[in-house]
Amino acid sequence: MNDYLSRVNSGAFYLIVACVLGFITIMCVVFLVKSYRAGIRIGMDKKVLKRTITASATFTLLPSISILLGVVALSGTLGVPLSWLRLSVVGALQYELNVAEIAAQSYGLSGLRLEEMNMSAFVTIALVMTIGILGGVLCCIFFLKKYLGKVQRAPKKESGTKPGFGSHATTAMFIGLCGAYIGSYVGKAVPREGSDVMPLIVAAVSAVAMAVFEFFIQKKGKTVLENFSLAASMLIAMAAAVLIQMA
Amino acid sequence: MKNETAKNENSSPLTKSPLSEEEKAQFFAEFNNGLHRIGRVLLIVAVIMLVSVPFAVGAINGVMPEGKAFISGFAKVGIIYIPVAIVEFLVYSPMLGVGGSYLSFLTGNLTNMKIPCAMNARDIAGTQVGTPENEIVSTLSVATSAICTTLVIVAGVILLVPLQPVLQSEVLLPAFNNVVPALFGALGLKYFTRSPQIAFIPVLLMTLLCVFVPAAISQTSLLMIPCGGLALLIGYVLFKKGKL
Repeated sequence: MNDYLSRVNSGAFYLIVACVLGFITIMCVVFLVKSYRAGIRIGMDKKVLKRTITASATFTLLPSISILLGVVALSGTLGVPLSWLRLSVVGALQYELNVAEIAAQSYGLSGLRLEEMNMSAFVTIALVMTIGILGGVLCCIFFLKKYLGKVQRAPKKESGTKPGFGSHATTAMFIGLCGAYIGSYVGKAVPREGSDVMPLIVAAVSAVAMAVFEFFIQKKGKTVLENFSLAASMLIAMAAAVLIQMA
Repeated sequence: MKNETAKNENSSPLTKSPLSEEEKAQFFAEFNNGLHRIGRVLLIVAVIMLVSVPFAVGAINGVMPEGKAFISGFAKVGIIYIPVAIVEFLVYSPMLGVGGSYLSFLTGNLTNMKIPCAMNARDIAGTQVGTPENEIVSTLSVATSAICTTLVIVAGVILLVPLQPVLQSEVLLPAFNNVVPALFGALGLKYFTRSPQIAFIPVLLMTLLCVFVPAAISQTSLLMIPCGGLALLIGYVLFKKGKL
């Protein structure tokens, strides 16, 4: 197990991830500079451009810390470099964990469990995580120019038009996803050979923590908590798992 | 003199444009074409780099991704996330504009960070969707956000390195082994309370199935496909009846 963790946290892996993220950061800087210059060229006020940059940086700080907590949560099984890479590009915590779990099961493991992990499983999981999320990026490469051209030419719809099924479809798909997992935790907790009540307890603690966050967000207007609610609920539930195991 | 007046009349409140509206449109079309060119090239390079990472790590450690497990895993992931990616692309790219889209879809955390950040910047700058000013504000916002996130995470990772012995201790094993239940407990609460009428039947059926057919428990990655399909069907029926 320690051999696995030392390999997935190796210096070479840190270096590879740093190179990839360095490239993507340079890409961001290029877009930033080009857009700033274009803004000046069309006569936008420098103050507005600078305010946009400052406001975006401050707006991003809190959610970035939440992403960092996600790196901590993922790093226990997948190591720091892969967690760092995956949460810095394309995906988000919920996608990465779910896909890692699916890929681990497809590899033949019972799930994303540290004691079952090996390097072959790790690189397979990493590849599924990488390829599985590229849909949006590929859409941009092949269709963005054409699509935006069409949208910008199309006449604007009147406001107040009834929204389509799209947003409900995404919610429904995620409900299905969560339903399958929650059902499996209940099934696993039923007393019989090989039963394990811990996943259900952890899910329940996480749900209670999330309910508390939702209460403060929805009822008390503490919208700043939205940035932390998911990662903090998970960390509370994970801490509960440690305490229960120790008890 | 006449030309100058026309320029000033066509300027938005945000801009004191030295260009006429026609010149501005032409400049902006060229600017956007340039962003498309550079965006595509950089995205292709980034995709190649990202896909190479598992192979590079595998090569260093003398292993390679297992083909069958990859295909099986990708099929299960793709059936859920490819439609989600297409919907996100269709919905969010017009909001983000050219530069914002290339950067957002590459750097991720779209709905939880990039979209709200771009919307916030738009509100602060007072720009309207579809205008050149909005495209510029959106790109500036997403680029700043991505750079800022990278810096915060780099700082965090540097702090995490000395904590490795603590993170790898046996005491914390139950925490990391239960990271997936922790995720789905919190997410489940959020989504189930958002649409309980969609959630009730799929969750009940999956629970009964896993209670009475223990073999199903280890097949969660397969179960989520019919469960998601059922939730979609119920959602669609409710939507058509105007109950969502």
